[in-house]
Amino acid sequence: MTTHYLVLSALLFVIGGVGVLVRRNAIVVFMCVELMLNACNLAFVTFARQNGNLDGQVIAFFVMIVAAAEVVIGLAIIVTIFRTRRSASVDDVNLLKY
Amino acid sequence: MTSQVPDLWPPSAQEVVFLLLGVVALGSALLVVTTRQLVHAALWLVVCFGALAGGYLVLTAEFVAWVQVLIYVGAIVVLLLFGIMLTRAPIGRSAGLDSGNRVTAATVAVGTAAVLVTVVVQGFATAYTPLEPGGGAAATLGASIFRSWVLPFEALSVLLLAALIGAIVLSRTDIRPANPAADAGGPAAPTTPPHPPDPAPPPADGSGATAGETGSGRVSRDGG
Amino acid sequence: MNGTIPAPTIEYALLAPMLVVFGAAIIGVLVEAFAPRYLRSAIHKPLTLLTLAGAFVITIWQARTGIPTTPSAMGAVAVDGPALFIWGTILVLAFVSVLLINDEGHFVASAAAVPGSAEEERALTEGATHTEVYPLVLFAVGGMLLFPAANDLLAMFVALEVMSLPLYLLCGLARRRRLLSQEAAVKYFLLGAFSSAFFLYGTALLYGYAGSVDLAKINTALGSVGGQDTLLYIGVAMLGVGLLFKIGAAPFQAWKPDVYQGSPTPITALMASGTLVAAFGALLRVFWVALGGLEWSWTPIMWGVAILTMVVGAILAITQTDIKRMLAYSSIAHGGFLLIGVVALGNNQQQNASALSALLFYLVAYGFTTVGAFAVVTTVRDAGGEAWHLSRWAGLGKRRPLVAVVFSLFLLAFAGIPLTSGFFGKYAVFQAAVAAGATPLVVVGVVSSAIAAFFYVRVIVLMFFSDPAADGPSVVIPGGTWAVGAVAVLATVVLGVFPQPVLDLAHTAAQSLFVR
Repeated sequence: MTTHYLVLSALLFVIGGVGVLVRRNAIVVFMCVELMLNACNLAFVTFARQNGNLDGQVIAFFVMIVAAAEVVIGLAIIVTIFRTRRSASVDDVNLLKY
Repeated sequence: MTSQVPDLWPPSAQEVVFLLLGVVALGSALLVVTTRQLVHAALWLVVCFGALAGGYLVLTAEFVAWVQVLIYVGAIVVLLLFGIMLTRAPIGRSAGLDSGNRVTAATVAVGTAAVLVTVVVQGFATAYTPLEPGGGAAATLGASIFRSWVLPFEALSVLLLAALIGAIVLSRTDIRPANPAADAGGPAAPTTPPHPPDPAPPPADGSGATAGETGSGRVSRDGG
Repeated sequence: MNGTIPAPTIEYALLAPMLVVFGAAIIGVLVEAFAPRYLRSAIHKPLTLLTLAGAFVITIWQARTGIPTTPSAMGAVAVDGPALFIWGTILVLAFVSVLLINDEGHFVASAAAVPGSAEEERALTEGATHTEVYPLVLFAVGGMLLFPAANDLLAMFVALEVMSLPLYLLCGLARRRRLLSQEAAVKYFLLGAFSSAFFLYGTALLYGYAGSVDLAKINTALGSVGGQDTLLYIGVAMLGVGLLFKIGAAPFQAWKPDVYQGSPTPITALMASGTLVAAFGALLRVFWVALGGLEWSWTPIMWGVAILTMVVGAILAITQTDIKRMLAYSSIAHGGFLLIGVVALGNNQQQNASALSALLFYLVAYGFTTVGAFAVVTTVRDAGGEAWHLSRWAGLGKRRPLVAVVFSLFLLAFAGIPLTSGFFGKYAVFQAAVAAGATPLVVVGVVSSAIAAFFYVRVIVLMFFSDPAADGPSVVIPGGTWAVGAVAVLATVVLGVFPQPVLDLAHTAAQSLFVR
């Protein structure tokens, strides 16, 4: 039954999404984004199985590479601002507001 | 694509394995989101990704499963741990890791999850795909990548290069090591934005002039 | 598998503009690696400009030799009329933005040095610069070219990332007010990654629905797959969130003022013009090609988003006291006006073509004006950098009449006053929307234009009718910025007085609609 996989994927996506909104440390927020991407991957692989073609697996592979690139950039930015501010808390990012 | 749906009970071995993996993945994902210890969050992430890799194996996506282990567990989480260390987050409990609205968040989460799960179950309750080995091996995937998906693949390589350059730009401290002895007291400069309770000296910038590209620069590059 | 696979067919000639840009970016990286430091800037500047100009010439040449009617590169890219028009627009706008980037003093001397540290001072006194900015800009422009031309959702996702990742970085490289700039980068990055996860989950659901990520195949599946409509709707909604975020449509506009304010102003100009054009191209392609058959169900939502975007952009702009934030909210409001055109999808080919050509014209007109406006922002400077606070702009018309007149021209074009390019842009889009039966939307559009005109005029009044402060900002106009201002003024006036050639061009490009 592939439904189980899709349910798991949906739950992981929601957990990750809520984590992004709730957590305040930029690195943990980023971990939650990674959780969401993994949920997407699980959905892709499951659908690949279900649709009987490989596209989903290829996409999952591509997403992993994109995630790797994203994490490089993200951590570089976060570490840079940490060195300026000595904190990785998202709530401290507050100079900008309307 | 779909054949007749077998009975739910007794579950097949694959289903049992998947259910166990799913429980592990869900539990560790919840812990990532709720734990108050930063390093533990990263370690639970490893567990979650590992369980998902197992799930891919059950789905016969061998290649994706191993790439998951290599990239996510091997590279991304390690990089995240480096990030935690470089931002010198406290090992152990740190207060104020969450914003206060846990209850609201939980409510929203349950609501959204309910909707998504209903959608999925509704859409695919009758979908059944027999799982048999093969199909997700590297050879077939490679053939597919280098035929149908070759342009996105090349674009990905460009993306990796861009990320590499970008990380170097942000982290490399030795723009020109002209007079390395000149700024011995540099990092203690009073103009750094005030966070008075922080007693420790800055990590990488002090050594940057003399030791060249150590620290963050090196780390970021390994990730690419 | 016997170890051989049939070679894929890649139409190199068709993809040439994109390949040239990516190739030049890689050459730029090699320059960084091997050229001596003092030479790099001198190599990068002409290389980048020549690349963009060359890619533009190739685009023109392609448009003249005939537009293909099938997707290229194994179905990953569709080089059709609208795509070529959008490519040309992006390349010209990027060229102009690079002229702005070329002028000194926008980018940080050493991004890794802590602001205010001795290390930074040393980098400043040595005149160090980050010449890596040029390859990064080219990577971003390459992504912008691929994004609106992508013919499947995977290529589109990869393009989205190729476009965004360099921009996340470039946002954090401002020379002045570095903390603000770095915070903008963090914010843009986290929200961008969040939104791309939504894009991806939407893609996954659509893939589950249709069995393919190819836009045309998704459209075919709309008619043939039954019983999974909720899945489809949730997928479309999530995909929409990802795309609308890039446009900065309300309620996903929160990042835009912060990022536009914190970024180096030339990068803001690039984002406000190039990224917006690219994102609209992609949005149009997804919603018209893949989801064209579903238009009755997404149009109402898009109406709501368009109205909210226009109103939020116009009203919040009034409360701003910072010139860059004001322009950011103005950009949000213009995103709303453009969304009116997206909704103006009718039942017949002719209606769609006229809506599309109106949108294309609007994008050109708005792109030039916004680059020009940000170019003017770079020229008005205080001791600590650009003078962003509106009060500092008081009396500029008396101190530097020419700069004030030019800026007023751009503001009037934003407001859509006749004889400026903005007028014909708005007119064309509103006309198409009325023809498609979206008259209430046009009414909201006109009202929010009027609200928006209020704050544009307020700035003009401030510049011309209040007394300059004694210690007012100085106006410094480097060569590149001169050229940018001249080009933007020319485009704004010419498109406002003789719009016909560009309208015709847009019409021709739109005639064939998107390749399916």
